[in-house]
Amino acid sequence: MTALLVLAVLATLLGGTVLAALMDRAALPLAALLTRQRVETEAPDRMNRDLSSAWYLALAAIGLSVVPFAPGLALIDSPVGIVIWGSCEALVVVTVFLHGWSPNAPFPLIGAYRYAAIGLPIMLPSMFVLIAAALPAESLSLIDIVESQREIWNVLRQPLGLPLFLVVALAMTLRGPMDYADAADIATGTSAEESGAARALWQVARLAMLVSISAIAATVFLGGPLGPVLPGPVWLWLKTAALMALTVWIGNRVARTTPDRMLTILWVVLLPLSFLGLIIAGVMAL
Amino acid sequence: MIALLALFAVWTGWRVFRVDSMVRASFALMLSFVSVGAIGVLLSAPYIGVATVFMMAVEMMVMAIFMVMFMMNPAGLNPMVMVHQHRLSIAAGVLAFVGLSAAILLSPLPSDPVPEGSDVVAQLGHELLGPSMLVFETAGVTLLATMVGAVILSSRQGWFGAADHGSRPPDLTAGGDPAGRQPGDGGGHGHHHHGGH
Repeated sequence: MTALLVLAVLATLLGGTVLAALMDRAALPLAALLTRQRVETEAPDRMNRDLSSAWYLALAAIGLSVVPFAPGLALIDSPVGIVIWGSCEALVVVTVFLHGWSPNAPFPLIGAYRYAAIGLPIMLPSMFVLIAAALPAESLSLIDIVESQREIWNVLRQPLGLPLFLVVALAMTLRGPMDYADAADIATGTSAEESGAARALWQVARLAMLVSISAIAATVFLGGPLGPVLPGPVWLWLKTAALMALTVWIGNRVARTTPDRMLTILWVVLLPLSFLGLIIAGVMAL
Repeated sequence: MIALLALFAVWTGWRVFRVDSMVRASFALMLSFVSVGAIGVLLSAPYIGVATVFMMAVEMMVMAIFMVMFMMNPAGLNPMVMVHQHRLSIAAGVLAFVGLSAAILLSPLPSDPVPEGSDVVAQLGHELLGPSMLVFETAGVTLLATMVGAVILSSRQGWFGAADHGSRPPDLTAGGDPAGRQPGDGGGHGHHHHGGH
């Protein structure tokens, strides 16, 4: 069973990444990157430069491994699954920061600090909506959170949750309005000094993280593997793909504002909103 | 496994003082805490272990930013020495090591394995929001008040005007001229009057 679950996680990550590349129309440019030569910067931090993409990819894989593929069945069946995912989110901020810090060059460094400034406050609404989803389940386990949605999905029970979590998804996948790390206005930021296979791997990791966070969102807000007729994994894949498409679409449609304005939005609008959602969920769960 | 993680925690903890940049030191310390968190998970304390990883990732990110911000060596890629006050720190280190080792060796450690299937996360929650609630909440509110106070103190805008209005940098030599730009002379930057005067 464990081998089957390992296979399911890896196949989902691989298939989902290919799907994400197709949604982004990035498959061909990614393949073309592999033929380009690498760029060297002066006095880089070699370890972090070479490993940050691998860490990003590993965090996507760890995040996906706590997702239940069928009711009661996840690769990492932890009583604190949602906190494991939270740790992955926090480590993504560290990884993106190190990715921009390690080349020792101006644009990547600007991207790194901008991302850290946005990524840290986004952790708070993220944790609040996830804790709110854990309240009706009375458990931090994602398996129990799926079970608690048998009658009504969290997207209907807690209407604030999914929209706020999609903002987190945009930030975690460096996308659209929340892309303060790799944006075009600072010459692709943390990736500015990267070319060839290294750049392709960073993009692949970014797409894999889209699969992972969409699967978490599908589990927490859309009932995960629950659904009629079709088997559990198929429902999870369908919901994950739908949320991936939604995230890509929002990322392409919504404009990015300046970092300081986004900081105000995060602290003054999204954080109180997520806290309000948590209070309502807490009162309802009493 | 626990021994390997403990060794890794000690090694990365040692690296904190051997590396030459604030960013490297912060994240070496983070790795040290991550392995301590993993030991917590292995000791059947999943919530405390995983929460340690989560908290330390956020905390060390904040620490890296603040250390780079307040250090005289920005960006963190220039080499610098991470240790100072050698004698005092060696004495404090030896004292702490001997004291903690003595505490471990001399105190009777409980041998009380967690029963199979017991809900440790729920038990922790009942403890934190039950008998220990006063301690827990006092610590939480104190930390929050500290954070609000720190933000207010470091904010430039204030009730009676800008915080740095009329401030004077420390002297270069005792009783001599202050370091940096002088208030009023434009600091050799032509006519630019930056807000920081």
